[in-house]
Amino acid sequence: MSTDKKTIILEVKNLKKIYNNHAVVNDLNLTVNQGEIFGILGPNGAGKTTTLEMIETLRPIDEGQIIVNGFDVNQDSLSVKKIIGIQPQTPAFQDKQKLKEILEMFGATYRVKVDWRQLLNDVGLLDKANSYAESLSGGQRQRFSVAVALVHNPKIFFLDEPTTGLDPQARRNLWELIKTIRDKGVTIILTTHYMDEAELLCDRVAVMDNGKIIALDKPKKLINNLIKKGFKKDQKVEQANLEDVFIDLTGKELREK
Amino acid sequence: MAALKTVLIFTKINIKRFFRDRLAIFFAVLFPLIFLIVFGFLVNGNNNISFNVAIINHSSSLASRQFITGLKSNKVFKINQTVQSSSVAQHDMIYNKIDATIVLNKDFGQIKNHIPTGKVKVLYTENSSLAAQTISSLINSTVVKNLNNHLVKSSKPFIVLPQKLNYHSLTTFDYTFAGILGFSIIGIGIFSQIEIFPELKKQGVLRRLHTTPIKVWQYFLATMLSQALIGIIAIAIQFVAAVLFFNLQINGNLLEILIFTVFSIFMILGIGLAIGGWAKNERQAAPLANIIIFPMLFLSGTFFPQFEMPIWLQRISSFLPLTPVINGLRLLTTAGKNLTQIGPEIGLIFVWFVIIYAIAFRVFNWE
Repeated sequence: MSTDKKTIILEVKNLKKIYNNHAVVNDLNLTVNQGEIFGILGPNGAGKTTTLEMIETLRPIDEGQIIVNGFDVNQDSLSVKKIIGIQPQTPAFQDKQKLKEILEMFGATYRVKVDWRQLLNDVGLLDKANSYAESLSGGQRQRFSVAVALVHNPKIFFLDEPTTGLDPQARRNLWELIKTIRDKGVTIILTTHYMDEAELLCDRVAVMDNGKIIALDKPKKLINNLIKKGFKKDQKVEQANLEDVFIDLTGKELREK
Repeated sequence: MAALKTVLIFTKINIKRFFRDRLAIFFAVLFPLIFLIVFGFLVNGNNNISFNVAIINHSSSLASRQFITGLKSNKVFKINQTVQSSSVAQHDMIYNKIDATIVLNKDFGQIKNHIPTGKVKVLYTENSSLAAQTISSLINSTVVKNLNNHLVKSSKPFIVLPQKLNYHSLTTFDYTFAGILGFSIIGIGIFSQIEIFPELKKQGVLRRLHTTPIKVWQYFLATMLSQALIGIIAIAIQFVAAVLFFNLQINGNLLEILIFTVFSIFMILGIGLAIGGWAKNERQAAPLANIIIFPMLFLSGTFFPQFEMPIWLQRISSFLPLTPVINGLRLLTTAGKNLTQIGPEIGLIFVWFVIIYAIAFRVFNWE
C-alpha cells in the first residue's frame, strides 16, 4: 500500500453549496484513491450528506467541480450515475415487491440483466429471494440495500451511516461485507458517527465541520498526531470494553429470523 | 429499444404489485363496482314513479269505499296506512314523509239527483305543489273517472289513443353509466397516484430511483401502461355488472370502446402524475387534487346531466378534461357511434393530453 502509486478516482475541487446565504459546504477539496475505504466524519450539520449528495449527482453544485472517474458531475451526470452505487441512510423499497423483483427492477434502470441469486447470496439473503422488503429486519434491510446498490457493478460505493441503529452483531456483519466488497476492487466512501467503526474500517478519514474539512489522514496517523501534541486519556487504556463483553456473552452470530 | 425494456420490466412489476395489494384492488375494482350498483339501483328506481299519500276518510258511503279500493289498486299511489288523523298527516307532509293527503269529507257519496256525488280534497304543502298537481290529475283521470263511468253512460266524442312503439329508449341507467365509468377513471388515474406518490417520496423510494439512470418518461410510461391494464380490467367488470344487473344495452363496438378507454386513462392519469410528481407530501397533494377533481365530478356529467346546468356553465364544463371522456364513452357505448364520429371528443382529449403531460414533466421532482 504505497501512497504515491495510487490512482485518483474522485476529485472534489473548491466545492461550495449555499442555503439561505449560509455556506453549508464551503470551499471543500478532497481526493479519494481507487480501492480504498474512505470515511467522512463530522457532527450533524457539518455538511457530510450535502457533500455526498453533490458527488452523487442528486444536488446541484453551486460552485466548484467534482470529477468522478474522469467524468465531470456537472456535465455528464448520467455517466457518473452508471459507475456509482448508493446506500441511503434509511433504505426503503416499494412494498409488495419480492427481493428478486427489486433487484431486477434496479438492474433494468442500468439496462443490465441481474444475477439475483449471486447478489442475494453475497449478502446472505438468498433464502429471502421471494420475501417482500417490508418483512426484513433492520440489518437484513441494510444488507439487501447493499445488494441493490451493486446490481450494476459500480466502481464507487457510497454508504451514508450504514450501521446506525443496528445491533453489534449486525454491525460486525456489515463491516465484513463492506471489506469483501472493497476486496473486489470497489472504492468505498462512507459517513459514520461511530469512531470505532471508522478506525476499524477506513483506510483514510476526513473530519468535517462547518462545511470544511479540518483533518484528513489515516486514522492511526490522526491518533498519533494527537498523542504527539501531548494528549492523554484520563483512564488507562483497558484491554477490553463493554462491547467486547457483549459480543463475548452473546456471540458474533447474526440474530435474525 | 433497451430503454423500452426498462419500461416493460417496471410495468410488469407494477402489475404484480397491484394484484398482491388487496386494498389497491378494492379501490380500483370493487369500490367503483359498489358505486355502480348503488347508483344503478337509485336511478333505476326513478323509472317507476310513485307517490306516498295518506287517506283520511270521514265518509261511510259506498262510493268512498269504492274510491279507496280504486286508489289502492293503482300502483302509482303508495298509501301510508299509519296516518289516520289530519294532524299526523300535516306533520308527515312537513317532514316530507308523504307527498299529499287525500281527504274525503263526511258528505262524500251523498246522493243528489239519484246519483252519488262528492269532492276529493288533496292537501299539500307549499313546496309539493308539483307532486300534488300530478296526484290530483292522476286521481281525476283514473279513480274518479272510473267512478263516473259507472254512473253516467255517456258517449265520448273525443278519445285519446296511446300507442306504444316497438323501440327501447335509453334508460336513465344507460345514460348514467358513462358517468360512473368517468368516476372510475378518475379513481384509477388520479386518486391512486396522489395516494402513492407522497408515500414513495416520504420513504425515499423515488429518491433512490433517481440515483439510477432511469428517466422520468420511463417511469411515467410504465405507470401509464400498468394503470391502463388495471383500468381495463376494472371497467370490463363494470360493463359485465351493468349488463347483468341493469340490462345495459351496448350499441357500440367493444374494441373501439377499449381503445377510447385506454386513451382516456392515459390522459386523466397525467393529472395524477402531475399532482403526485409535483407535491412534496400529502398536504400538498390532497388539496390540489380536490380542487381539480371535484369540479370535474360535478360539472362533467358524472352525477348530473350537463343539460340541467345553465348555458354559461355548460360552455365551461364542456372543456373540462373529464367531459369528453364521459361524452365519448356514452356515444360509443349507448348511442352506437364509432370512433370516427366522435372527432371533437378525441380531439379535446388529445389537446388535454399534450397540455397535462407538458405540465407533468415540468413539475416532476423525485423528492
